[in-house]
Amino acid sequence: MATQASQSILFTNTQPQQGFRLLELTPELEELLSSKDAPRLQIKSPSLALARAVLDPSALEYVNLCTPTRTYRIRQVQSSNSLHILQPSLGRISKEDIKVVGGSDGANEESLNLVDGTVAAIAKCGSTLELHTPQDGFSAVPFLEKSLALFDRRVGDGDRDLDVDMLGDESGDADATVLRERVFADVPVSSGQCEAGWMEICAFADERRRHCWRPSARMRLGIWKRVVEGATLQGIDLNKQFLVRDLWKSVLDDDDDDESEDDGVNALFPRALFEAVVRRVSVVEERPPLSAELKWASLDKIECARWVGETYLAATAPTPTAAIGRSEFINAWRDCLPEAWREEVALSKLPVGSYQNPDPTTIYYVEPSQRLQASKGSASAPAAAATVKSTRNWHELLKNPKRR
Amino acid sequence: MPSIPLHPRSDRGTQNGAADPAHNPLPQLLQTPSGLALLELQGTINVPTSETESDDIHGSLAQPATYETPIGKLMFPDYSVHNPDDSQWMKRVYLYIGRYQRMTGEVKKLPRPIAVLRKRCDNEIESAGSEELEVVEIVRYKVFFKNRPEPVNDV
Repeated sequence: MATQASQSILFTNTQPQQGFRLLELTPELEELLSSKDAPRLQIKSPSLALARAVLDPSALEYVNLCTPTRTYRIRQVQSSNSLHILQPSLGRISKEDIKVVGGSDGANEESLNLVDGTVAAIAKCGSTLELHTPQDGFSAVPFLEKSLALFDRRVGDGDRDLDVDMLGDESGDADATVLRERVFADVPVSSGQCEAGWMEICAFADERRRHCWRPSARMRLGIWKRVVEGATLQGIDLNKQFLVRDLWKSVLDDDDDDESEDDGVNALFPRALFEAVVRRVSVVEERPPLSAELKWASLDKIECARWVGETYLAATAPTPTAAIGRSEFINAWRDCLPEAWREEVALSKLPVGSYQNPDPTTIYYVEPSQRLQASKGSASAPAAAATVKSTRNWHELLKNPKRR
Repeated sequence: MPSIPLHPRSDRGTQNGAADPAHNPLPQLLQTPSGLALLELQGTINVPTSETESDDIHGSLAQPATYETPIGKLMFPDYSVHNPDDSQWMKRVYLYIGRYQRMTGEVKKLPRPIAVLRKRCDNEIESAGSEELEVVEIVRYKVFFKNRPEPVNDV
């Protein structure tokens, strides 16, 4: 018989079995893990308090797999089939036992000897772990907003009281990196996305107070105004590369000429916050990682103008009841920018969904978290219908009629 | 909640030392550096003495006396060591359960490779509080038996 001549491998089962998990890899992950110097990955889940604070209807309890730059949601998928993990075995099995599966008569003894080796099933897995990336992707921003205390104070008031809801814990290291990593540990996305979110909201680590903060929109706007004033006075062209130290000096000079320089402005706002703002509006490709010092910078005119407009609106008209006049807003926005950039001002330049018009002449700011809900909710049903028409995604096509 | 590190595959091989390719009886395509391979079948293999389901990752690491129970034989009837490039052999794999039942299956490339993870246990001191996982192997093929066993004569 043909089968007789071919290899036959003794198949055994070991007791006790070992514990394994099977993780289905995406092509990028496969590449990453197969590379010579594969990085260490992290399995992260939010702290309980954070998970509750950041409303995530998709999953209350979840675990994310994070590479240095990407995040995947892990989902356990049960299978009715069983997956056995095999391992070559040295096959220390008595002849008596083998008889159970092999021949016992003299004639078949031969075929028994043909056994070329042994593989043992050392583990059984009834489920695999699959990786998913939600359509909206992952962002650290909602988590950072919940976990960082708000840093707010009226710039220029000389009001030295911080509007804080939390004081830094005094224990531990005051190194900015350490402080930041402590925050990131509870944010269930990759460290790259943590950093991006951190820069996005201008968060900063205050080494003196040993605490990390997120500045309020008013605070950010105040600092931006000081930056523009300082740069104009000192003739620094923000569009071209400049030394961040020079800009910091110009910001100091502007107000506190006669006083001891560092203390004067340090009391108003920490340099770390100043750098966070400059980093936020500088050209993305030139931004150094958070761990590196921001030495040189040049600002991205378009992105910067957009950010200033958004920040201004967030600072002055954060709610529908605080809506301000549209032309008033446009003028104020223009005033916040250096002379040469003012043609960048237009409502269309603001991020999609970042504002609402309660009536034709006024405008107010919409929080990013609200924007998502608004676009998903019924308010934008016509827009949704429009996108459905243009999409070929049958999920969308089927989903929509139900909603109406 | 602390994050759990997942270490990439290291070159140490597995602890059992079975990674030696000389000991690996499987066709070369199914061989991996650590020696681990995947076998999928409909249903389960019922082993009389199996009282512990070690599906979870916290499975027994202490490794008391392990013993092996022979189940059957695995055969790649069309495989030839001399002609490894020919992939025709993948279409037919036999798994004999005992002497009188045979399952016919095939070797399949996984649509997505699968990483085999396990709890890292090389430094016992640390393992008390923190949990660490590691990728033991990345597997790209599986031996798949989708059909039920059929009765056969003794081989």
